[in-house]
Amino acid sequence: MAVQKLRVEITKGEPVRYLSHLEYLRAIERALRRSALPIAYTEGFNPHMKMSFASALAVGVTSSCENLELEMAEPVACEAFVNRLAKDLPEGIVIKRCREVPLRGKSLMSEVRLASYTVSIPVRLPEALAGERFAEKVIESFWQAPIVLYTRHNPKGRREINLKSYITDLAAKMENECLNLLMKIRITGEGSAKPEEVLEALAAIHGSSFWEPDEALAHRTGLFAVSGHNYIPIFEV
Amino acid sequence: MIQLAPSMLRKVLKPARYTGGEWNQVVKDLQACEISFALAFPDVYEVGMSHLGLKILYHVLNSRGDTCAERVYAPWPDMEEELRRRKLPLFTLETRRPLAAFDLVGFTLQYELSYSNILNMLDLGGISVYAQERNIDQPFVVGGGPCAFNPEPLASFFDLFVLGEAEEAINELVDCFAAWKKGGKRGGRDGFLRDAAGISGVYVPKFYLPRYDSKGNLIETTPAAPGIPETVNRRVVADLEAAPFPVRPVVPYVDAVHDRIMLEVFRGCTRGCRFCQAGILYRPVRERRMETIVKLAEETLANTGYDEISLVSLSTADYSCLEKLIRELTDRFARRGVSVSLPSLRVDSFSIMLANEVQKVRKSSLTFAPEAGTQRLRDVINKGVSEQDIEEAVTAAFRSGWSQIKLYFMLGLPTETDEDVRGIAELSHRIMKRYKEVTGSGAGQLTVSVSSFVPKPHTAFQWVAQASIEELRGKQALLKELLPQRRFTLRWHDAQASFLEAVFARGDRRLEKALYNAWQRGARFDGWSEHFRFELWEEAFQSAAVDPNMYATRERSVNEALPWDHLNSGVDKHFLVKEYERALNGEHTADCRRGQCTDCGVCSSFGVGPVNWG
Repeated sequence: MAVQKLRVEITKGEPVRYLSHLEYLRAIERALRRSALPIAYTEGFNPHMKMSFASALAVGVTSSCENLELEMAEPVACEAFVNRLAKDLPEGIVIKRCREVPLRGKSLMSEVRLASYTVSIPVRLPEALAGERFAEKVIESFWQAPIVLYTRHNPKGRREINLKSYITDLAAKMENECLNLLMKIRITGEGSAKPEEVLEALAAIHGSSFWEPDEALAHRTGLFAVSGHNYIPIFEV
Repeated sequence: MIQLAPSMLRKVLKPARYTGGEWNQVVKDLQACEISFALAFPDVYEVGMSHLGLKILYHVLNSRGDTCAERVYAPWPDMEEELRRRKLPLFTLETRRPLAAFDLVGFTLQYELSYSNILNMLDLGGISVYAQERNIDQPFVVGGGPCAFNPEPLASFFDLFVLGEAEEAINELVDCFAAWKKGGKRGGRDGFLRDAAGISGVYVPKFYLPRYDSKGNLIETTPAAPGIPETVNRRVVADLEAAPFPVRPVVPYVDAVHDRIMLEVFRGCTRGCRFCQAGILYRPVRERRMETIVKLAEETLANTGYDEISLVSLSTADYSCLEKLIRELTDRFARRGVSVSLPSLRVDSFSIMLANEVQKVRKSSLTFAPEAGTQRLRDVINKGVSEQDIEEAVTAAFRSGWSQIKLYFMLGLPTETDEDVRGIAELSHRIMKRYKEVTGSGAGQLTVSVSSFVPKPHTAFQWVAQASIEELRGKQALLKELLPQRRFTLRWHDAQASFLEAVFARGDRRLEKALYNAWQRGARFDGWSEHFRFELWEEAFQSAAVDPNMYATRERSVNEALPWDHLNSGVDKHFLVKEYERALNGEHTADCRRGQCTDCGVCSSFGVGPVNWG
């Protein structure tokens, strides 16, 4: 029986960048088991921890703001929780903060509306194009296009999505021969977009042969819910 | 440290196979370590990470202050392509250094179909594939595991092999290496190899010479240098209680094949199945005490965060205090959400009781291995299981609610006829009938899994001819006909892969060229049906002018010199001859575990004996 629910913010750092969501989740489960914290389990033949994430993170993406909720079988003070778990987390996963939330509250997954990312990609520009204008042009061409289509392939077939319907903010800057982008992507009931998809679409519409979308490094910087007309960090909801 | 580009890791399946950093991995200060040892498993990460032997050696080596041990697995073909395209060497997971940078590289030889991967890993790691081409700066390549008991097909590619249990021998080997290195590498590579050959259990193939007669028959294999022992003895750890056990195993991120705690409850099995090589190579039976096992379980759970403990051995149901142990473990751990599992069951009702004990609620599936379909053939292979045992076991299983049963058989066993193959089908049908009688339902599921018999060195069947590919396929076809798909799920092994396994299991040094050619032609992951390409091997044998049938499908006389005669498992050859004769007469040989000594020779050769605590 669960007596308490804790919301936790943790990171997914460079050493664990290439874990899939499932691998990342299992790594946290095992850390929790090592810590011997009193986590609540589901009933049934195959009990598992009562743990849920706000939003799955793709292979190859790091994050400073993964949010998850855990139900506890015994009450634990947040500070004690953080201290005990910290020593059992593998390199690259750091617990940042923890707070108690109502047991019967809405799930994080149903609250999350927006994710922000920074993406860095090496760009090899011909001299004529060097300078601040390149980054601006990339962004302009994105907003000027009436729709930005991206085709998703999966085992069930292919599906075209309009990335513009998901992007709320997009900014870019050239720094040290890298194009550094900042993007905010909506998470809706019907779906969302991945930063790497945005990057591929950008390369396609700007006709850019100056970068390889494969070389991008994406990092999730925030997860947000809606409160009134504002986006607020999901941890604070 | 080798840098792995995001664009490379994005292109490969399960990139976390290559990025390391798992919980409990040991990263040492390289400056402080005099000796570096790469432990290699020649298959993909998920398979290699499931192997207890390498976990033990990783623990033993890293417990030394002077040594760092790191892991490496075979890159999946997608990763190999990236490494080759980018001219990156194969690297270890801990510090991402190329294999060539290590002092010693140790491969575990678990199955013959991994040999092409070994050559590939050496090449990718920047190490000369042929031992004789390695200079003083290159690593020594070491092999161990069951296939080291006939490593002759690999002799040209390895510097040395360690026979038997390596917990103690590997320390002696590293001490020997350290002394040679400190002494200014006196005598060059051969200087170390000569010193190493003095360690019990160490086989240095270049110091032995096989001689053949004019017809190409082996006469004998003898030392080619002074001071080299005529035979190399297997190493045995006398006291498993005192043996090191890895209570801090590396916990993989990627789902391994066996992703749980593997607790070795005992070593060895003397039931005496005549086809079984492990039954010879790990004699005698040595149990751990129950208290020790519980203590190891507690420590390993706390250090890993696993939620499952598997009690492993060659035949766990034979552990003398098993009932008590399972009760103790479930009492302690069930509350903490930790389950206990048994990897193998005996065909009897005692095993069903145990299975009920460990899986109180969820009855998934039970696996039994009668191995042969008729009593006559089970007597030949000394599988002491009667029709009545099977009947009782499945009845007990069905009564307690198990509905999915898996049966394991072998095809192509010595003296097998069509009647024995039909026996497999008849037994399967009888079990289904029994299911209906017990449960009143016709919905039971029976999976029948048939592998192909591969004669192995050091067993009573080491002289036997393997059934040809055509014969094996004929037997498989007969079974398919007799087991209709709607009621039975029939699984079988690829006959060509079993043939290849048989060639290398009893091969000699003349296979070296064929192996090299096959690898050059692209053979990789031969144990994986999606990568196995038999035609590459056919071409390879042809271009090396080797007839593979000479090794696989030819019956040998018991007087014939065998390529592994100089490698001593401790079991006397005349015991094996006697067992072969008893097999042909259908005579049973009893287990020596608690009964009478069968005079196999192991205990007297090595000064060890069976250890039971129950």
